[in-house]
Order: sequence, then C-alpha cells, then structure tokens
Amino acid sequence: MIVLVLAFGIAAVQGLVALVVAVILAIGVVLATGRARQVVARLRAPTALALAILLALALSAGDTTLAQIGPLRLRQEGGAAGVLIAGRLLSILAITLALLAPLSPFRLVAGLRGLGLPLVMADLALLTLRYLDESAAELRRARLARALRGGTSGWRALPDHAMLLVTGLIRAQSRADRVYAAMRLRGHGAGVGPPSPGLRAADLAAIGAAIGAGLMLVMLDRAL
Amino acid sequence: MHLPDGIVPVEMALAGYGLSAGLAALALSRIRTLPDPQAEVPRAAMLTTVFFAASLVAVPVPPASVHLMLAGLMGVMLGWFAVPAILVGLFLQAALFGHGGVTTLGLNGLILGVPALVAMGLWRLAGGRWPDLAALGAGAGAVVVALALFFGIVLAGLPTELDGAAERAALAVFVLAHLPLAMAEGVIVLVTLRVLRRVEPRLLPGV
Repeated sequence: MIVLVLAFGIAAVQGLVALVVAVILAIGVVLATGRARQVVARLRAPTALALAILLALALSAGDTTLAQIGPLRLRQEGGAAGVLIAGRLLSILAITLALLAPLSPFRLVAGLRGLGLPLVMADLALLTLRYLDESAAELRRARLARALRGGTSGWRALPDHAMLLVTGLIRAQSRADRVYAAMRLRGHGAGVGPPSPGLRAADLAAIGAAIGAGLMLVMLDRAL
Repeated sequence: MHLPDGIVPVEMALAGYGLSAGLAALALSRIRTLPDPQAEVPRAAMLTTVFFAASLVAVPVPPASVHLMLAGLMGVMLGWFAVPAILVGLFLQAALFGHGGVTTLGLNGLILGVPALVAMGLWRLAGGRWPDLAALGAGAGAVVVALALFFGIVLAGLPTELDGAAERAALAVFVLAHLPLAMAEGVIVLVTLRVLRRVEPRLLPGV
C-alpha cells in the first residue's frame, strides 16, 4: 500500500521542481530502510535504461536546440521529457526495491491479501515463490548438460531450447501432483494462502505518512 | 517487453490497473466454474515457475539474443489461469527484481494477458484440427499482439509536445527488432506442443 501510494504520487509528477522533491523523498526512504548499497547495486541496469531513454529523447524530440555536436542536436523539449521519465523511473524503482525486496515471500503475499488479493492468486504467488528457485536450477542444469554435449547455436538451437522447456514442464507437472497430494493430506481444502493480516497502529501511521507525502508531491507539482 | 515506471501518464497507469483488474475478475470467474479450482492451483503455479525461469534465460536469435515472452504458451497450457499467473509473475518481477514497474503493473498485465487469452482462443479453436498451425500462430501471434499493445500504449503515453514522427520511427524500429522474437517463439511453441502432444498430452487441456 505504502509503495503503491508513493509510486503513483511520483508517477504523477510533471514538473522538474517536484521531480527534485520526489528524488529526495526516494533517497530518504532508501536511507531510512538502511538498504542503500543493495538498492544502488540493483539500480545499475535500470540506470542504463533511464540514460538510454534520456539520450534518445534529448537527441530526437523537440525543436529548441540546446547544443549541437557535429550532426547530433541536443533538444530542450526531449531533454526535459527524458529527465522527467528517468527521474520518475529511478525514484519509483528505488522505493520499490527498498521497501518490497527485503520482505519474506510470506509477508509479501500476506500484504497483498490485505489489499484484497483473491485467495487463488495468493496461493499461486506463494507456490510460485516457493518453487521458482527449483525450476530455475533445473533449467540451468539442463542448459549446462546441453552445452557439455556440444549443442548447436543460432536458429538451429531453438528446437533444443524447446526440448529443455518441455523437460521442465513435465517435471513441473509431476511436482504439482505431489504438492497437491501433500496439500490435501495437510487439510488445505481452502487453500494455502495466508490469512488477511490486520493493520497495527504503526502500519496505519506509515500508510498515512505515505498518503500525505504522495498528496504533497502532487499538490506541489500542480502549484508550480 | 515490460513498460517501466514513469514512462506513461499516471491516468493511463490507473486505467491499466482497472482494465487488468477486470481481466483478472473475468479469468477468476471462469476458474471458479471448474469442478475443483483449488486442484488446478499447484499445477498452474509449477508451470508458472518454469515459464518465469525460462523467460529469464537469453536465447540466441541471430544477430542478438532475446528473452522469450512465452505468453502464448502460457495461454495454451494454463487457459484462464494464465491471467492471474501473469499478474503474479509481473508483480514478483517488479517487487523482487525491479523488472517492469509497480505503477505499470496493470498495463503490463494487459500487454501479456490479452495475448495469452488470444493464444488460448486460437488453440481451443484450431488446436484439435491443425495443431502445428495453431501452435505456430499461438506462439508468434501472442508476440505480435503484445507488440501492438506495447506500441499503442507507449505512443499514447508519451508527452504530446514531442515530435510525433520521431516517436513513431523509434517505436517502429523497436517493433521490427522484436519480429525475430515472434518467429523464435512460434518455433519454440510449435516444437514444445508437438512433443507434449506425444509424451504428456494431459498437459494440454482442450485437445
């Protein structure tokens, strides 16, 4: 809930001044969670994407020339739009990674249940999270085995990749049979999803602060 | 092919949430009509883990390498479960790995969910009579539908003061660059379904 409110508040920003406030807010959230190093490490690829968007827009969109380097023309309108998009993208991502990435799968799904996620989807999320590593490891082992046998490359390798997928799907089906049998034995007739958690005073205060921050951001943006 | 945060207006992102919620509600209502919906959840989850893991692997498609989307295969194999599975997968990608976005979750759900349902419809319509053709169409067609949705959403979402011709040219290059992905997915779905029909037909409902 907090992440969604802050993310939509930042996504609504249209002006550069409010964007600076949004970036400061994101930095504050990251520092408050004490996960600055992990978040910065995870932001490397998105930063490359943000810079690519910024560069593409600055070089291609708009009429007002800011600078000219040979055949390349840096344009004001595209640059401003690029800065806005890049700033919003990185701020929202930093808040998401700082607040959601450290949560355990159970707490993550319990939080979603609190937001009204249907039980079927909560079960699906929990089981997917629980067995994702297993499936990924199986696929990695199968790819390694294929490489050791000296597989083909390029377009001719596509059927081989499909065969790896088939193997993974068949193993997944037999795993699903075992999991469902275990669920029934444990009496999970109504699903394995966690109950919808109640909100504590601290949670309500945090949600209130997030709503306040999001509203302040939007009002500041509209006022300037 | 995920829309990142911050690229589309907030109104569009909210509309995406609304439409995705509608799509999920429709899918869940169809799932509830199954004889034992709970029995299908482990199967859908396990297959989703494979689709999720496989989509993270780069497959060489000369001259570059691509990440498979697999929305078409999910639609064929999971049926209506593909919609909640895609939404769950997108949320986990955004929350845990920072791929995609939390504000664009609804739009991304539409970009992948609608093609999955199109593939499901195509497979149920023609999979029994022309299985290879239907598989090829489901795999490649899902990518083409996703590209069209992505193209339309980005074009509608970029600031209006920008140069429309330049935007369209950039997006056209992006779409053309992804056409090999459509062909690669078509081939992979074709081979996958052909093998599954022979060795594990219970994985293919509706045929």
